Amino acid sequence: MNKSTHFDRDDPQEKKIHYSGLYFKFIGLTLVCSLVPLLLVGWAINIHYKRFAVSRMTDSFQTLVDYHRRIIESFLQERCSRLRLISETHSRDILTQRANLFRVFEIMNREYGSLTDLGVIDDHGKHLAYVGPYDLMDKNYSEALWFGQVMEKGIYISDMFSGFREVPHFVIAVTRAENEETWILRATIDTDAFRSLVEDVRIGKTGEVYLINQEGIFQTNPRFSGQIMENAPFPAGPIHEGIRVYVSKSDTKETQQPFPGKIVATLWLDEPRWMLVVMQEYSEAFNEVNRANVAILVFLHLSAATILIVTILITRYMIKLIRKRDTQADRLNRQLMQAGKLAAVGELSAGVAHEINNPLAIVLTERQILLDSAEQTPDLDDRFRRQLTHSLNQMDLQIHRCKRITQNLLRFSRRTKPSIETVDLNNFIIEVIELVEREAKTSGIRFLSDLEERLPLLLSDPSQLQQVFLNMITNAIDAHDGKPYGIIHISTQSDDQNQGVRVLIADTGSGISSEYIAKVFDPFFTTKPAGKGTGLGLSICYSSIKQLGGDITVKSHEGKGTEFTIFLPYRPPLNPNESMPEGHESVGLGKS
Amino acid sequence: MKGSRILLVDDETVFTENMTRLLTTRGYLVTATDNGEAALRILGEKDFDVIVLDLKMPGMDGITTLKEIGKLGLFAQTLILTGHGSIDTALEAIKLGAYDYLTKPCEIDDLVNKIEGAWGKKNEEKNKDTQEKIQKVVESPSSVFDLFPKRKG
Ligand SMILES: Nc1ncnc2c1ncn2[C@@H]1O[C@H](COP(=O)(O)OP(=O)(O)O)[C@@H](O)[C@H]1O
Ligand SMILES: [Mg+2]
Repeated sequence: MNKSTHFDRDDPQEKKIHYSGLYFKFIGLTLVCSLVPLLLVGWAINIHYKRFAVSRMTDSFQTLVDYHRRIIESFLQERCSRLRLISETHSRDILTQRANLFRVFEIMNREYGSLTDLGVIDDHGKHLAYVGPYDLMDKNYSEALWFGQVMEKGIYISDMFSGFREVPHFVIAVTRAENEETWILRATIDTDAFRSLVEDVRIGKTGEVYLINQEGIFQTNPRFSGQIMENAPFPAGPIHEGIRVYVSKSDTKETQQPFPGKIVATLWLDEPRWMLVVMQEYSEAFNEVNRANVAILVFLHLSAATILIVTILITRYMIKLIRKRDTQADRLNRQLMQAGKLAAVGELSAGVAHEINNPLAIVLTERQILLDSAEQTPDLDDRFRRQLTHSLNQMDLQIHRCKRITQNLLRFSRRTKPSIETVDLNNFIIEVIELVEREAKTSGIRFLSDLEERLPLLLSDPSQLQQVFLNMITNAIDAHDGKPYGIIHISTQSDDQNQGVRVLIADTGSGISSEYIAKVFDPFFTTKPAGKGTGLGLSICYSSIKQLGGDITVKSHEGKGTEFTIFLPYRPPLNPNESMPEGHESVGLGKS
Repeated sequence: MKGSRILLVDDETVFTENMTRLLTTRGYLVTATDNGEAALRILGEKDFDVIVLDLKMPGMDGITTLKEIGKLGLFAQTLILTGHGSIDTALEAIKLGAYDYLTKPCEIDDLVNKIEGAWGKKNEEKNKDTQEKIQKVVESPSSVFDLFPKRKG
């Protein structure tokens, strides 16, 4: 029932708030249920993956260090055992003869290379024999650190030192005990072969492997950090057991990390005490991981954004749907309410009408008795008789007014099956206009009609329609109360799309204030003075038109006029009202 | 028709009293009662031309009373008076054999008109009935005995 389009009982502002609340609740819920878990899982995976990557990297660095250690150690081992073999297989006397020593030197150099010099030293630190580029025969080593160590441990490997040709060397010395006497075989090793073992290792673009001694001096040429025999940028630190791996992400120098921005594995060799270092820039080592991570995060956040957008769209759509449903339900509710109201009023008014008619009937008989008595009393005072006649007439008038009211009430409550006939609506309207025109003319009101030619014939109930149009026109005339003239404009239009006819009844009367417009179809709603309006006209129209399958709406401009639109279907619905008792309005007059 | 015998049945005693008075003034012979049972009893004792029956009464209501009256097989015609609220019932009453109905409040003249109509109908039916009986007797004289146990309306 669209009684009025511009008047809504529910506060629209409140509704808006309600829907936006719903909107945010939906979105919030969906996000909490989908986005949060997604992000949590994503971030967790990310963190886990990073940790996993670090541990893999650590492992691989450990293996790398271990591998290089083995190579270095076996190289040194081999040199040591060779010297040992020589010292064990040749006696001091043989080796101190220079020719013999020279022969050994030559053979060893030929077979294995990398020997710079070879010397035999007695237990007082004096050279007994020497083959090599230096003139060391007179040198006494008894005060040298290495001498003490080799005498004590039986073997000694020195740190790197720049030799005669400004080439790094190192020394290996072994002892031999022979006839209560100990002597030392000492060799200086050219380090090219050794260094290439370490220096030629290539790890990525930024990786390097090198050795430093306890003083922090490079024992091999590092790839980037400096030169052999120079001080390393990192201190060697205390000697530790096993392999240590440092992973430092940050590049900033302030951090406590010994190797900022790098992944570093260190290991102290046993003999000599050198530290093997394998290092790579963090950014390169974790490049793959980082890239994968970035991909994961981008994917994660893209999915999150997609979910967000989809959620918003779906929620919008849903809210729209809910809103539509709500308005439909609202409309239905209001229709039901109106129908319920009409039914209740109908029932009530039938009872009331009956109860009022009985006393009215009595009053009428009393009046008749008075009338009879007056007629039979010839010697009544003239003035009294006149007054009596006047009063009795007035009584008659008022009783009939009452009867009209109750009849209206009853007509309203009666639920008769409409008697359906073909109706030529245009003709019908012209007839109704003729019926009321004379009365209207006296109050200066003109009728204008604008009827569509060739309007299809309707199947409808002419008596109900007549009632409807009479009510509408009476109202329109009443609305001109106080205006000297006015126009009532009636037009018809066919509406093939909706299979019906539209009748517009517009007037130039008082109009209806927006305060009242929603109520005009309510039973007993009237703005007219007591005695004039019953407030039933429009509710009768409303229920009749609904019964005939039509619709009635109103638009009004206060002070300017009102326009009612009545829609009537070409044919009425098959079962217009669910529970209509049998019965007819046009009653036959007996059996005869 | 002056002298017609009328039975008024209505629980509103003031109404029946007033009506009695008005109808008597207009030359009718009026008996009034305020309930259906009494009406049936009175109908068993006396003949009437027209019965004016209210539909809504305490105790036996108008429709039941009407059905009972129908069982008596009288020539008297029944006029239904209704408070209009029960117009469907009034129509039902006509189907049950009532002559016509009137809605309250009604003008005395309207009532008188309908009473006259009902009286005419009653006479018509009675005449028709007599005619038929005479016809019957003429055709088979032995059926004259059938006339005696039958009460005349
Ligand atoms: N054409 C109209 N112009 C202005 N007001 C109207 C018009 N039709 C109806 N109304 C308003 O609607 C109210 C209800 O009308 P209605 O149901 O016919 O009862 P009534 O005419 O007995 O007052 C009227 O009292 C009047 O205020
Ligand atoms: Mg009206």
